[in-house]
Amino acid sequence: MPGKSSTHREALERQNAAIMAVFERAGFDQIAPDIIQPADIFLERSGEDIRARTFVFNDPAGNELCLRPDLTVPACRYHLSHTKTPEAETKYCYLGPAFRFPDELLSPQEFTQAGLEWFGDQADIAAEARVIKLTVSALEAAGLTGLKVSLGDLGLFNALLEDMPMPERWRRRLRHQFWRPLAFRNLLETFAKPARGQRTSISTNIDAIDGKDAVAETSRMLADKNLNLVTQRSVEDISARLSEKLADRSEQPLAQEMVQTIENYLQISGSLTDVIMQIKTIGNSPNFAAATAKFEQRITALEDQGLNPRRFHFSADFGRELEYYTGLVFQIEVEARNAPLSVAGGGRYDSLLQDLGAGVRIPAVGCAIHTDRLFAVMS
Amino acid sequence: MKMLTVAIPSKGRLMEQANDVFERAGLKIERFGTDRGYRGRLVGIENVEIAFLSASEIAVQLRDGKIDAGITGEDLLRETIAPGNDVADVALRLNFGSADVVVAVPECWLDVAVMADLDDVAEQFYAAHGRRLRVATKYLNITRRFFAEKGITGYRIVESVGATEGAPAIGTAELIVDITTSGATLKANQLKILDDGLILASCAVLATHINIANDLRIHRLINLVKREITTLPVSFNP
Repeated sequence: MPGKSSTHREALERQNAAIMAVFERAGFDQIAPDIIQPADIFLERSGEDIRARTFVFNDPAGNELCLRPDLTVPACRYHLSHTKTPEAETKYCYLGPAFRFPDELLSPQEFTQAGLEWFGDQADIAAEARVIKLTVSALEAAGLTGLKVSLGDLGLFNALLEDMPMPERWRRRLRHQFWRPLAFRNLLETFAKPARGQRTSISTNIDAIDGKDAVAETSRMLADKNLNLVTQRSVEDISARLSEKLADRSEQPLAQEMVQTIENYLQISGSLTDVIMQIKTIGNSPNFAAATAKFEQRITALEDQGLNPRRFHFSADFGRELEYYTGLVFQIEVEARNAPLSVAGGGRYDSLLQDLGAGVRIPAVGCAIHTDRLFAVMS
Repeated sequence: MKMLTVAIPSKGRLMEQANDVFERAGLKIERFGTDRGYRGRLVGIENVEIAFLSASEIAVQLRDGKIDAGITGEDLLRETIAPGNDVADVALRLNFGSADVVVAVPECWLDVAVMADLDDVAEQFYAAHGRRLRVATKYLNITRRFFAEKGITGYRIVESVGATEGAPAIGTAELIVDITTSGATLKANQLKILDDGLILASCAVLATHINIANDLRIHRLINLVKREITTLPVSFNP
């Protein structure tokens, strides 16, 4: 139904005022980032799956702009343009519209997002627990009951990979495929059982650089085949990947025990307090043990905030669609008509600010509440 | 009895070949008004009107239910109608108009053979240039579906309506998704098809709207045309 009646609008405003009061009382400063944003920062960062759902248009000068599909990136841009010291600890909250082509029920094209972003936090685990607490409190202040918190931890997964002996480029590719279970499994397979002797259309190119200077050989091959170098990929870019493929040929395959350990880890699922035993069974290699210790600290930090971590759900393969999360990820669901419905989500995204132009890595943790979905589910 | 509207491509090779197959099937098309008119009547089956539209319009109007059946390229049909949508579908694959929708990259990318390589290249590219790979194509939906299926996300589509093969050389994209018959144009532009880059082996199809799928006239049309296809050698596209 296009538009909202005065009754609907007032009720939604009351709900959102209750949410924002919780955030502001906790010391988060309410900002209003621009609704119209440059398109490239979203599209270049998120790729075609977001692109297909974002409203993009051109200004008279031909610049590509968009209606913001979320408020986290705009809040980051706001931060970077309003301070000379972006690494200084700053707490923002916001309430405003965002726009996306709808892809599911209860998701209108124009929706109102309430959220908070905590930049440059020094408190790490404590900050994450506080963000979860504030999100839960805000939802409860709006009248929500029966909510369920689910968590994931990309830091644990990264630590597990870090401790396993394998080329860094394999770790990089596994991390990249974390969000795609099928592709991830296939990748693990190729590392465990390299298809020795399986030739592709570029096998002769890999043969050619064997025992030679890769860059020189690549240039020679291009010249021999009379090929122009087009696009911004350089001879060095191309030869670097040929060298990696050559190295892969003689690389020690990933041991079956390691594959099994990874698969065992990804199967871990259960109440936050129960899974600790399962996680410790995976192993206690240095990085993983450190990440596990942090995980336990998080449970304590959540209790310190007055929450009950026994009722939170953890699953090792829980990741979010947005690739910029780097550590904790969480989602808050409520039982709706047919299936659980997500009304809020967030996590840690320590690389985003630097990616957007900050000169240094700045830790960041935040959350966003889908206020229209929340309203619909409580009506 | 309700009038059925069957659409035929209005120009080019597809129009000639569609007319040809109808004629051989014993169905004549009588154009209304001038030779350049856009409506006609099918002689041979009662109450069937012919509409002359562009091949892409035919796909769109089928999806929107404005026509009952039509001959168009399977590529256009799949681009216009999503896999889960059963509003219209292929009733008969015709033996002409074959062409492949493929993913093609510059031949100078000596290190790239398969779609999985694009994932790596996208990361390398983003790290070096701060932006995603650009794919030039007119097949927005087909491309998105295929790339999603292969797990590739680090790209953006740059819409291209013509001369897509020139995009990498000009610098408006890094790779393309395009339709090709002999592959000669790709070669001439120093592009190569990925080993697993065949998205769709397309050909001309007779497609029908779900509402009339059981209409006896449509069955008759399909049977008459089908006979002509199976008794003739597969046509050669020079």
